[in-house]
Amino acid sequence: MFKKALLALPVAMALGGLAAGGAAQASEWQDPTDVLQKLLDNNPDSKYLHQSEQNIMMMPDNPALWVAEDGEQLFYEERGPNNASLESCDFGKGPGVLEGAYVELPRYFEDTGKVMDFEHRLVHCMKEIQGFDADDPEVAQRHGNDTDVMQLTTYIAMQSSGMEWQPANEHPKEQAMLAAGEKLFFRRGGAMDFNCASCHGESGKRVRASRLPKMRDSQEWTKAVSWPAHRAGHDNVRSQGHRIRGCAWQMRHAGIKPDSMANTALIAFWNEAARGEPAVLPDLKR
Amino acid sequence: MFKKNTVAAGVAAFATIALATGCAVAEGNKSDEVDITAMSAEELAEYIIFESDSFRLEQEAQEGGTARDRMVQDDLQKACSFEGEPDGETAGEVVAMARAEYEAPEGDIELGDWEKGQELAFSGYGYRIGHNNDDHGTREPGGNCVNCHVFDPEGPTQGTIGPSLEGYGATRGDSQEMREYVHQVISNPHQFFPCAQMPRFQGLLDEEQISHIMAYMLDPDSPVNN
Ligand code: HEC
Ligand code: HEC
Repeated sequence: MFKKALLALPVAMALGGLAAGGAAQASEWQDPTDVLQKLLDNNPDSKYLHQSEQNIMMMPDNPALWVAEDGEQLFYEERGPNNASLESCDFGKGPGVLEGAYVELPRYFEDTGKVMDFEHRLVHCMKEIQGFDADDPEVAQRHGNDTDVMQLTTYIAMQSSGMEWQPANEHPKEQAMLAAGEKLFFRRGGAMDFNCASCHGESGKRVRASRLPKMRDSQEWTKAVSWPAHRAGHDNVRSQGHRIRGCAWQMRHAGIKPDSMANTALIAFWNEAARGEPAVLPDLKR
Repeated sequence: MFKKNTVAAGVAAFATIALATGCAVAEGNKSDEVDITAMSAEELAEYIIFESDSFRLEQEAQEGGTARDRMVQDDLQKACSFEGEPDGETAGEVVAMARAEYEAPEGDIELGDWEKGQELAFSGYGYRIGHNNDDHGTREPGGNCVNCHVFDPEGPTQGTIGPSLEGYGATRGDSQEMREYVHQVISNPHQFFPCAQMPRFQGLLDEEQISHIMAYMLDPDSPVNN
């Protein structure tokens, strides 16, 4: 019941947005369960998408929805040394505009002169608007259901569910980061000579029992990049950055840092590879 | 052993790129002030890795040196950094590089203990660094082989990035030539499969470990062949 209410909220927001401005939204808000169901129906042969029957069955009860609920409260609460809410944070579509913001990141921000991915931007706002210090746990702790960053990420990302990935690519710096992200994706290196394509170059392959999504299959890839997701094996909601860190670790590359150019460039490229496909937010994974 | 040479070559190559990007630095060389639009995508990627504080480059790597050394590409990695299959020329160059790097064992190749080999083929431990570091002092690194190959369908689920190696020795035999071939593939697969996704294990596993894994593949008593 509570979950229904939670879901109804973004729907209302999306519809409100349409009615009010008629701004050319690529697509409107959809329940993540419906988005995933359509992906499954459209791709009956995808072993990656169909690897687990339980995945779709559990979607309506996705534990990430509770984390989003916590994030909603945090977003509007006045907190931090400046006793401010995050309502004036600009994720690229104007202060406080959350619908569709997540799927258009990373983007270039005039105020910092940088291309920023979602998490980098969120943390920037928490520091600038709310006054948190880099060492404060509110911004320093990035992983786990209990962290502010994951709760806020899940709530804000959810406002883009069903909308098409369309990371900004107009500004020259956005284009540069995207192109560098593609180079990083195919750059072989580290102790075991891997690049990202070593494991995400083909459809239907497995690393042990894990089915691998193919980067050039945009319908597989849209689910692949749809984080935050409740990761059942970890019993926690995880972020895009957490996934990249995990893959870099398995690749035997150097450890990758959050809020870094490498992280942003990789996210720019991987969201780009899902361009035009609807995001499943929040998703649920094995 | 070959690692040192290749790392040195990589460092030299990176120095060239660093020089080339030198002019792209607007004022000072803080990451914020660099004009990223003045670099090629490749230059920017190298800049991001080595100059932008994106990676924990100062960590020690298990193979010696630092994570920074590890991230420097050797010639073979560089040659294989593209999308899709290598063209004929690249394939030829990569095969030649791989042959030059490969160190053949002296004398006849003996098989080790297939049970130890099985353990090593299933172990995914080793060489991971970053938020969590594998400690080779407490546990030896494994081969990750089952991440990518099915050896024994009876065992836990195995990967499919590479071809199935089920019944490998039973179908191919266990001649000295066969042992030489398998040793070459495990040590440096690019001698036969240029730019394959498989790691070069010479330097990652020691010769004894390789002999155990070879026994797992070739010994008639191994479950792979039964
Ligand atoms: C050695 C193999 C390997 C390499 C190399 C690798 N990954 Fe992964 N990746 C995996 C595995 C295994 C999963 C988990 C898939 C699953 O659980 O179904 C995964 C998952 C993912 C996912 C999420 C898909 C999901 O459903 O969980 C994304 C996105 C991804 N990787 C991107 C990358 C990027 C970007 C790189 C390069 C920085 C990379 N990977 C390199 C093995 C790899
Ligand atoms: C990241 C994936 C990966 C890992 C890990 C891996 N391999 Fe491979 N391996 C491959 C691929 C891919 C090929 C095939 C290359 C081709 O056909 O182009 C291959 C080929 C082979 C072959 C040649 C098969 C033939 O046709 O004769 C052997 C033998 C082999 N691998 C053994 C191993 C062993 C032993 C290990 C562990 C020490 C291992 N591999 C680890 C991906 C991997």
